[in-house]
Amino acid sequence: MLESAPMTTLSADNLTGLLFEWRQGDEAALEKLTPLVYDELRRIAHRYVRRERDGHTLQTTALVNEAYVRLAGRQKIEWQDRSHFFAVTANVMRHILIDHARRRHYAKRGGDAQHVALDEADAMSHQRARELVALDQALEALAKLDPRKSQVVELRYFGGLSMEETAEVLEVSLMTVRRDWRVAKAWLFKEVNGEW
Amino acid sequence: MNSEPETATIYYSPFTIYRINVTPERWQQVEEILQRVLDRPPPDRVSFLDQVCRDDAELRAEAASLINAYDEAGDFIEVPAFATDARILLGGESEHQIGREIGPYTIRECLGVGGMGEVYLAHDGRLGRLVALKILPVYFASDDARLRRFQREAQAASALNHPNILTIHEVGETDETRFIATEFIEGDTVRELIDRRELSREQILDIADQVASALAAAHAAGIVHRDIKPENIMRRRDGLVKILDFGIAKLVEPPSTDLVSERALTKSYTEIGVVMGTVGYMSPEQARAQAVDERTDVWSLGVVLYEMLTGQLPFPGATRMDTMVSILEREPTPLAAASGHPDEFQRVIDKALRKDRDDRYQSAAEFAADLKSIREHPKVAPVAKPKADRSSLRPAWFNYFLILGAVVLLLAVGGTILYRRLALRERNAASAVTTKSYLQMSDAEQMQFIAKQEQRISQMMGDHRGKPNEEAVRAIKAYLDYRLRVDRQTNGEGDGSLRAVYGRAGPYVPLIARSFAARKVPIIIGIYLPVIESGFRPCYENAIGAKGLFQFVPETAKNYGVARDEMCDAEKMTPAAAHYIADRMAELGEDSESVTLVLLSYNRGAESVREMLRQLRGTDNYERNFWMLYAHRNELGDTFRNESAGYVPNFFAAAIIGENPQAFGLNFEPLSTMK
Repeated sequence: MLESAPMTTLSADNLTGLLFEWRQGDEAALEKLTPLVYDELRRIAHRYVRRERDGHTLQTTALVNEAYVRLAGRQKIEWQDRSHFFAVTANVMRHILIDHARRRHYAKRGGDAQHVALDEADAMSHQRARELVALDQALEALAKLDPRKSQVVELRYFGGLSMEETAEVLEVSLMTVRRDWRVAKAWLFKEVNGEW
Repeated sequence: MNSEPETATIYYSPFTIYRINVTPERWQQVEEILQRVLDRPPPDRVSFLDQVCRDDAELRAEAASLINAYDEAGDFIEVPAFATDARILLGGESEHQIGREIGPYTIRECLGVGGMGEVYLAHDGRLGRLVALKILPVYFASDDARLRRFQREAQAASALNHPNILTIHEVGETDETRFIATEFIEGDTVRELIDRRELSREQILDIADQVASALAAAHAAGIVHRDIKPENIMRRRDGLVKILDFGIAKLVEPPSTDLVSERALTKSYTEIGVVMGTVGYMSPEQARAQAVDERTDVWSLGVVLYEMLTGQLPFPGATRMDTMVSILEREPTPLAAASGHPDEFQRVIDKALRKDRDDRYQSAAEFAADLKSIREHPKVAPVAKPKADRSSLRPAWFNYFLILGAVVLLLAVGGTILYRRLALRERNAASAVTTKSYLQMSDAEQMQFIAKQEQRISQMMGDHRGKPNEEAVRAIKAYLDYRLRVDRQTNGEGDGSLRAVYGRAGPYVPLIARSFAARKVPIIIGIYLPVIESGFRPCYENAIGAKGLFQFVPETAKNYGVARDEMCDAEKMTPAAAHYIADRMAELGEDSESVTLVLLSYNRGAESVREMLRQLRGTDNYERNFWMLYAHRNELGDTFRNESAGYVPNFFAAAIIGENPQAFGLNFEPLSTMK
């Protein structure tokens, strides 16, 4: 190790505490949770990519669950904490991907040699970057119209949650999530792809 | 509207295609149709649509286009983003970074990953040398605060030119990547050396001496490191020591800024508080959020020296709070007891770890000189000088006086605070016998207990019409159990423990009682709001800082005479909160239902209270009783639903504990009777 950076050290107690505070609307709690979740997401990604290379695929839900268990220690996991952890994870994941996509998207403007080298190395295609930026903007528009549907999509698409887990997090019935999902999907598809 | 051709103008945003003219109301209409159509089997859909939209061609068109989209969407967003983009998260870590060129640097291998970035071994093609390249992760590169910290590191350290300070070659940025190139060190961090327990006394002195010399040079240039710890010190194979990470170093304020308001200093502390995870090396002045100068580095180096000598921290603690209390109040276990080092080491440690910085080494140079004299004139006899460790004799609750002391001290920055130890004085144990412990009750008994207490507390808030239904009682129970769980997890001693949370409220009761009585607002609200609003944390620990005993949105605070930077000032916030609640109640009526409404939107400001009322009156279930609202929460707007599902049960849970302390193993009076 060349150097270690200062890093917020968060214990499991703090995790449940921060999740609780976040649920209470404390933005600062999210700020503190983010680096923790970010590191965890990277770990998940690492495993995911490795398994994928070996020809296996893993359920992302299982991985996120595992991350939570790791962070929360071996204590009994309350569904509320777990739910909020999922929600934070989805939110952070969205943030990371969209941020990357935006940079990728707008960076296309430049054209110097160095940039081209970077361009080739990037794991995200321009096409994909475009899709993500469009999806994010459409999701934001949807949030204004119908916040819960946008949450459903964030949890399912960026958080990798199942319908059941999404229902648990949002404290609504499975039926509601299913109905939200089909309509949100249609709406977003239309927004992203233009008029039909 | 259009579908963008593949090759087109990606440089502009082609995505501004939303029809903003759709209102949520219209959308509800469209959705309802859509859901009904989708409930039918596909062949029936068109005719059904024609049927339900007979009179509204626009609605039909809207719904039809969405149904088409639904049919076309296929597996659109069905595969989670993770599966497609997991590699993005890996950023630099995955091997596709190896060989990547960033400016003149070619990445060779990953040296490490930390919270502030990844560090790679890279080759500098221009100068043919190896460098360490630190790359900020994508996520953090878009975070301005982190970026500033990152750049500060570079600037401060570049200004120095000392063999014991890591040399910065370059700070650079490409469109997508921000990086810092430093000299490459092959060696170990002092953390690793401590963990491997392979340092001789001579080596320890040598490391401390080199660090002290480097700090002396930095201090001479006006730079304080502020975060000296074993992770930030490396020893090269040849013994040369380097200090890393001048990341939070900051130019020492010129003498004139002694006049800078203490509030500003508190602010800068909170900013730093976010970065610094390790409190063990923090100086008392850092723990107190006071201005920092070079003597802070002297302290931290003293801590590192102690740890190198004994393998233990001089000021241990189970939690951040514990550690801070320890730093502020306790004396470390003497070296002789911990490891049998000579007396002269004890003298140096004592001098470096004086709580009052005026009693410490006044400069790193002075510290270095003493270390040198020990090396050059070693005395042999280790003399044990046992010193009574009074702190270990103190009962655990005493620590919370100290925490409270620190909290009050910090709050006192903005004003004066009443601090009464009385509030926490241990009560006669005999009185605890009368109440059955909540934890010993069966589930049914707990529910009964909560329902009864809810009625009692509602009465204290004014008249109460409704009875909570079982679901509502469960909601309160969930919060009660949450708090008890946190309490158990921290053995009743952590930052979020009941003792700490209620202990925090106690000292403010007299102030709250006075202010709320003056506005004729039930005192019970005044007591339990802070427990909720401070989110378990005293103001100073909050990263935003704009949060006090009572939380206000800045706009509301301003209207009630509290400036943004005064929101941690209990003397200002308490009367303002009482005033605000009294005003809203005057608008709504003076009963517990009004109080409930105010509580529900308390931290969103007056307009939201009115809006909420409008919303409520617009529903069929208009009934201001909270528990009715709770039962119907899903029919109300999002904000209101969330508030009603979380805030009020939380309030009742807090109040139930505070009004029945003995049932929850707390030996103090019910908060509302402390006056």
